Amino acid sequence: MPISAQWRGWALAALVVVGLLVPFFIQDTYLRHLFIISYIYGVVAASWDLSLGYAGVFNFGHVAFFGVGVYATGLTAKLLGIDPWIAIVIGGVAASAVAAVIALPVVRLQGVYVVLVTFAFSQLILQLVISQSQFTGGTQGMVRVPTLRLPGYNFLRDYKFGYYYVAFALLVLTTICLRRIVRSDFGLSLKALRDNEDYGVSRGIPIGLQRLKVLVASAFFTGIAGGFYVVYLRVASPEVFDFSTASLVLSMVLVGGTSSIYGSIFAALGLTFISEGLANINGLGEGRFMLVAVAMVIVLLFLPKGLASLFTLKTRGRPSLEGKISGKF
Amino acid sequence: MTADTISAIIVSGLVLGSVYALMASGLSMIWTTLGIFNFAHGALMTLGAYVAWTISNSAGLGLGLAAGIAVSIAALIGAGILIERIVVRPFYDDRDILLITVMTTLATMIFLEKGIQLIWGARLKQLAPIIAGKVQLFRTTISAQETLIIVVAPLLLGALWLFLRHSRIGRGIRAVGQNPDAARLIGIDVSRLFITTFAMSAVLAGLTGVLLGSVRLLTPDFGDEPLVKALIIVIFGGLGSLSGTIVAAYLMGIVEAALTFFIGIYWAPSIVFLLLIIVLLFRPQGLMGKVAR
Repeated sequence: MPISAQWRGWALAALVVVGLLVPFFIQDTYLRHLFIISYIYGVVAASWDLSLGYAGVFNFGHVAFFGVGVYATGLTAKLLGIDPWIAIVIGGVAASAVAAVIALPVVRLQGVYVVLVTFAFSQLILQLVISQSQFTGGTQGMVRVPTLRLPGYNFLRDYKFGYYYVAFALLVLTTICLRRIVRSDFGLSLKALRDNEDYGVSRGIPIGLQRLKVLVASAFFTGIAGGFYVVYLRVASPEVFDFSTASLVLSMVLVGGTSSIYGSIFAALGLTFISEGLANINGLGEGRFMLVAVAMVIVLLFLPKGLASLFTLKTRGRPSLEGKISGKF
Repeated sequence: MTADTISAIIVSGLVLGSVYALMASGLSMIWTTLGIFNFAHGALMTLGAYVAWTISNSAGLGLGLAAGIAVSIAALIGAGILIERIVVRPFYDDRDILLITVMTTLATMIFLEKGIQLIWGARLKQLAPIIAGKVQLFRTTISAQETLIIVVAPLLLGALWLFLRHSRIGRGIRAVGQNPDAARLIGIDVSRLFITTFAMSAVLAGLTGVLLGSVRLLTPDFGDEPLVKALIIVIFGGLGSLSGTIVAAYLMGIVEAALTFFIGIYWAPSIVFLLLIIVLLFRPQGLMGKVAR
């Protein structure tokens, strides 16, 4: 549909412009902080959508990749004194390397075993972080991570102006990469495997290799986001491996609708603002996670394609969640 | 390795194994019957302990431990039924039921844990032990409560096995696990059995919480670690086999106790997870399991 594609292109360009202008209209440091956090979540949710929604690999350890990025960047920047810009990239590479390791059992397993192994794996990483407390700070967390530096520019005294643009650039670049991936031949082969594994394999798609690649790719963006997260907040805590973090990001993927990169990003924006807004209301600090949990169930019950499906008048042949993760289960 | 060491490892391994076996058998029951994984299982365990605490502790209602356990069992039956009704039942006809219920039960777990934190706060609590005092077992001295765990767990599991083997409902549950359509055809009320299974499994989790609640301190995430261990045990034992699950639970308890003794409390959990991943590389169907459905 050329017309709607063109329309969508304009809409996205307009959104990018709006995103670029946000810091000029919003002077409040806290609001800018919310934008930054929501962009980070957007990257994590969208790249989870790549492996979960498009490839149908039910990888439960995605948030662990984020944690790996957080700690790899934090440790190299703090202990080895590596420039934080480079440390962020190291975070991405480390997450990818970990993803390659976890892919070894995952490509050989089916269905519920994928869930359980990735789940156990994220617990393994958490245990490693906690047990190596002389480096990672253990359950206390890691503090005083070096911040980003540019010659002649101070990231700490600009009311988060600079960080906003770094986060925004990260989100835009990730989105472009993810969209390119899902529209490439590689992305098509992932969808083919997801929708009909046997047929895909019989047409010569190397299933193990494709799953390995998709895990490595989705972990890379997530690790970068984790690296940026830690140099931005300057603290790392094992809470990033928490069940509540995982369910928050999962709810973003679900609310946005699986296998729609944009959906996850918008859901991440919306849910971050809602949940942070609720956190400021007295006594709702923990309750917001309860609301997120309820939202997840409601979406799964009534809107299996995510909130975005409310706005789509015609179904455009996009498979619903039922058709999504093929007969493996 | 002295006799004292061996005795200490075996005794603490038995305590761990008993707790794991109680937790894992509930998970395994739900898996066999409904073909889903209940991630809220750990939160149910926490809920059981907190309810018992509120009823029994003098800071709560002070009605005594027996009343606490009774109310806790009742509450868990209710919670099990509610979970089945709200987050599992609507998806029975979905071919992705397994995947969807992983997400919905995870949401339930978060809901329960955060709810517990809102109601009871993050302050540490501890249940009064059912039996006070110390007991000498082999060459190791442990609390009487831990001995009780070692004794009660096999009794409960034995009762569960007899129930599944010989009672009408139990045989129904197994029949549904093997072939739900055929079970329906011969007149078994499948949907009622699903509810029964969920309620029974929730009660098992709650009892584990009550038993463990006087050995460990109660926090809202009290059930997380046992849940993760139970998940691993269910994989180790092979999905869908109750006896395999129980053997794996005790094996895991002993291995964990030995690892904790020899390489320390910090590294032991990591090694356990590593072992799991290695085992799955070579035996994807679990140590004792048949090929999964």
